[in-house]
Amino acid sequence: MSELRHDPIQKRWVIIAPERGIRPSSYYQVQPGSAGEDEFCPFCEGNEDKTPPEILAYRESGMPENGRGWRVRVVPNKYPALRIEGSLDRKGVGYYDAMGGIGAHEVIIETPFHDEDMADMSVNNLARIFKAFKERMTDLSQDSRFRYVLGFKNYGKSAGSTLDHPHSQIIALPITPRNVAMELKSAKEHYQLKERCLFCDIFQYEIEAGERIIRVTEDFIGYTPYASRFPFEIWIAPRTHSHDFTLIQDKQMNSLAELLKEVLMRLRKALNNPPYNLIIHNSPNIKGSKKRSHYWETLEYDWHWHIELTPKIIPTAGFEWGTGFYINPVSPEEAAKYLREIEVY
Amino acid sequence: MDEKKKKLLIADDEENILILYKLEFEEEGYEVLTAPSALEALKLIDSEKPDLLIMDICMPEMDGIEALGKILSKNNKLPVILNSAYSSYKDNFMSWCANAYVVKSSDLTELKETVTRVLKEAGRN
Repeated sequence: MSELRHDPIQKRWVIIAPERGIRPSSYYQVQPGSAGEDEFCPFCEGNEDKTPPEILAYRESGMPENGRGWRVRVVPNKYPALRIEGSLDRKGVGYYDAMGGIGAHEVIIETPFHDEDMADMSVNNLARIFKAFKERMTDLSQDSRFRYVLGFKNYGKSAGSTLDHPHSQIIALPITPRNVAMELKSAKEHYQLKERCLFCDIFQYEIEAGERIIRVTEDFIGYTPYASRFPFEIWIAPRTHSHDFTLIQDKQMNSLAELLKEVLMRLRKALNNPPYNLIIHNSPNIKGSKKRSHYWETLEYDWHWHIELTPKIIPTAGFEWGTGFYINPVSPEEAAKYLREIEVY
Repeated sequence: MDEKKKKLLIADDEENILILYKLEFEEEGYEVLTAPSALEALKLIDSEKPDLLIMDICMPEMDGIEALGKILSKNNKLPVILNSAYSSYKDNFMSWCANAYVVKSSDLTELKETVTRVLKEAGRN
């Protein structure tokens, strides 16, 4: 029987509707999450001239910029949707609001090797990717025009990836996105009422309940949320309260890399390399919000950064678009159990 | 004079575009070859050795992005201008491999200027 579940963070209802006789293993993907066979790749080592000049790279000492010898490389998007030059120019247009298309769009090329998926990478290289996210998100947050810096990865064609070569993206925005704003609002309301972090409360409960846990390490929790929107939706978050991803320490980055690698290996084995989106839900950049500084005074205590990983194995259709509800045919308890029991080592 | 003419290859599945571009670029002093598909363009690249390729993206059988990958894997030096009615293909990172991306317009000024620039940058002017 189906069940309506409420997501206390997004204030949204989800219908958990497991189909009778359909097991989690039924979602094994026939097609791998591939963006297609590209014969030439602008992200492969040796083709550095096909990208804009790098903003950041971790490479062997002595190797020249924009050449070979790198491990992780960050370049600006050649065709950004939002540009860093210009002014915000916030204005009213009759009843409506508008502003200049200011922002930044960068690409993290995660490895010089075309076929080295995140699940295959060494923990060290995964940690280097998080270090690149941290450095670039920290740098972009110095710009007070940017209210939010989003880090994300599209893996597989149906998750929006256009190139197989492993890469992630960072987009700096002059506004806080609506989804994040809702999470921030819920977190703030919870803190005002209870003087506790909503996320810490949820993570603590999930660890005690255990049925949706995939893995808990000393530093991080990996679990399927109670009101998961999608089959095998996974969240990863630090167990110790932290509102800002860019404050993550080296040891934590290694620990995060270890857990993410394990989760991705489990997901790949369980669902045969499904496409997915991975999103870092970080704190907003409040440097540009001086007039509203009072609004953010509890942000450090009420917000908790986390990673949301959503496999794209069922379509989002009219019902979801029309209602904002989601129908999830795999209960998060079943998904977590299935992922826990997969042998990957 | 003819020896100095640069050879342009234009690949597009719309015949009217091929006719228009051929007329316009011949008027600019270029030798112009046309291909009604990406597959045909791949053959002409091998046999005719053009100096620059102007290629549509939305084409049947093989799209321009896929063709670009095949071209670059064989000949990384051929300058390519992607010429699509849509700017949305800029989201495809393979489009970065082209020397330029020009959105189609009835006014060919931008395309002509881009051809001149790209040939110059490639040392083929």
